[in-house]
Amino acid sequence: MLIVAAALAVSAVSSAQTLPDVTVEDSRGKEIAVRSLLTGRPMIISYWSIACKPCIQELNAINDVIDEWREEADFDVVAVSVDDIRLVAGARAKASALGWDFTCVYDPNQDLKRAMNVNLTPQSFVVDADGKIVFSHTGYTPGSEELLFEKILEITETADGND
Amino acid sequence: MIKRFLAAAAAAAALSVSAAGQVRTGDEGQLSASFETNTIYYVDDKGLAGSTPDDRFGSNNYLKIDYNYKKLSAGIQLEGYFPALYGYELGQQADPKKFFLGSKYISWDDENFSVLVGNVYEQFGNGLIFRSYEDRQLGLNNSLEGVRASYSFSRFVAVKGMYGRPRLYTDYAGSWVRGLDLSVSVADIFNWDNILLSVEGSYVNRYEALDKDVTMDFYSLGLDTPQLNMYSGRVNFGWKGLSVKGEYAAKSKDLPMPGSSRAVRGAAIFGEAIYSWKSFSVSGTFRMIENMGTMLTLYGSGTGNSLNYLPSLTRQYTYMLANLNPYQVNVAGETSGQVDVYYSLRNRNDRHRYWNFHANYSTAYTLNGSQSATGKVQLMWSDANVDIERQWNRKLKTILLYSRQQWSPSHGAQAETYVSNIFVGDVTYKFDRKKSLRAEVQYLLSSDYEGDWVAGLVEFSFAPMWSIFASDMYNLEGTRKNYYNAGFSFTKGRTRIQLSYGRNRAGYICSGGVCRYSPAYTGLNLAMTTSF
Repeated sequence: MLIVAAALAVSAVSSAQTLPDVTVEDSRGKEIAVRSLLTGRPMIISYWSIACKPCIQELNAINDVIDEWREEADFDVVAVSVDDIRLVAGARAKASALGWDFTCVYDPNQDLKRAMNVNLTPQSFVVDADGKIVFSHTGYTPGSEELLFEKILEITETADGND
Repeated sequence: MIKRFLAAAAAAAALSVSAAGQVRTGDEGQLSASFETNTIYYVDDKGLAGSTPDDRFGSNNYLKIDYNYKKLSAGIQLEGYFPALYGYELGQQADPKKFFLGSKYISWDDENFSVLVGNVYEQFGNGLIFRSYEDRQLGLNNSLEGVRASYSFSRFVAVKGMYGRPRLYTDYAGSWVRGLDLSVSVADIFNWDNILLSVEGSYVNRYEALDKDVTMDFYSLGLDTPQLNMYSGRVNFGWKGLSVKGEYAAKSKDLPMPGSSRAVRGAAIFGEAIYSWKSFSVSGTFRMIENMGTMLTLYGSGTGNSLNYLPSLTRQYTYMLANLNPYQVNVAGETSGQVDVYYSLRNRNDRHRYWNFHANYSTAYTLNGSQSATGKVQLMWSDANVDIERQWNRKLKTILLYSRQQWSPSHGAQAETYVSNIFVGDVTYKFDRKKSLRAEVQYLLSSDYEGDWVAGLVEFSFAPMWSIFASDMYNLEGTRKNYYNAGFSFTKGRTRIQLSYGRNRAGYICSGGVCRYSPAYTGLNLAMTTSF
């Protein structure tokens, strides 16, 4: 109960996170800073691995509707593979063949996963144009990808209203 | 016991409500945290003799708290095992800690350099000589308590060094580890825009006194120094759709595993190639290891007592029967590899209609004849498998999988192998934007070991919050046992709670949207994760 009490105390004072300044690998294996992926547009960050079927379901579902979503809002999608050396080659090959229309990065020793406090995959985040994490959802059930797009719309409408 | 389980459930619910309401602290940095509990109430199961631990309650809990202010970061991880879940090695150690500070750190990250004091998570190259990481599903954390610093000279050269003592289960090993890693980007030096070429090297040293336990005479086994030295050299190359990696590693005389009868040198070769062209891609991984098992401490044992990372190069399945007899690496010596081929056939005008084809082949042999009573190199594992995924329209998706697995029950010591043929059908039907049904039917055909198996799973989801599932696998010819599991999950934002009841074999199970490793037990399982 002590550990839960400590968690309750922390949850009461926790603050909005920003995208951590952690290095990952790009699709060719070159190290890049995660924050360099920010382009001034909102971003969906979705964690996956070869052994996580619901993660791949979620990314496929996003890929299926991404053209329709992009007609309504301008945003980026980044898929973060947490496969380690055992499966990362297969993950790179799979991501390429599936034709995901977004950026794929690789986190083989889970530095970014640890920094973003991801316990289990799938977990997806919505990050605003300044790199502030405004929404997160864990697990995946078919249809729950729409929560991510609703948040993207909310951000872009707010930004348009401020202009 | 039931009160303890209900208390854990109530605490989890309170935490999830609390997590939903965040309070901002202003501009004095940011505080974030995550909490995870995996709690099981074990029940007597006459059909699964020996599966009930003396303490019917097991609970693994992790609270990680991080604070960031500009370039400064600090954090802690509190861990509680009340006691550790049944089957987890960390609970089987002598006098394991129940509630303790599992890790802590304070770090400074600047543009070109960083320094961290605390628990170091790091991997050199492909992990052949060093990897420190955490795997909660396995109860494993071998992070290095010490210091790490890194410096980058523009884009050309990156160097990092570390020193510390490794964590072993709920305590620390009695050894000290130091390491240095250097990476030179040749392509950046010569300004080759479309080519990636880097040359890398690492050195790791483990120091541990050999005379700490008078009952263990390491000198008679051939060890004559407390120093273990490990080296690694690597080349990474990328051009257009081609990516190639190579690594050679070697280590000085060491006992590669508990119970080793003599100290030996070790070596390893690792190679990886990926080629992608449009929607076709192929990847291959090859590895040869000889006595490369490296313990954190010569005085310890167990899966967690490992300084480097030598995983099995096999496909990781999420289907129950395909994962029934997974391959374990033979660190004494093996030659192994796997190849994956992916091809996707897509309708240009309709993203909701496509075929995905995937074939995989993995195999592992003993390194030399001396590992087998036959005096010959023996097959330890092979798996030839293919799966075809068809997205028919917005509503319907089907997957068919076939796998032929051949495995050695003696790990290559004898010539005998068992063969399993596994067939899987997987259907997902989406009724509307929120409601969906997924069903799996699996059959394992074998004339060896436990004979044939059959399995099924049904999962109904009501997005984005609810999922209810039931699964069963049944051994038709050997033990004739059912392994059933049923439950539901609730997700809201960053919080997910799953309650399930069942009889579980050890292995990976994916349901309710998440995959996790599960040890064998019969009982009521509460799993919760949240972050805030």
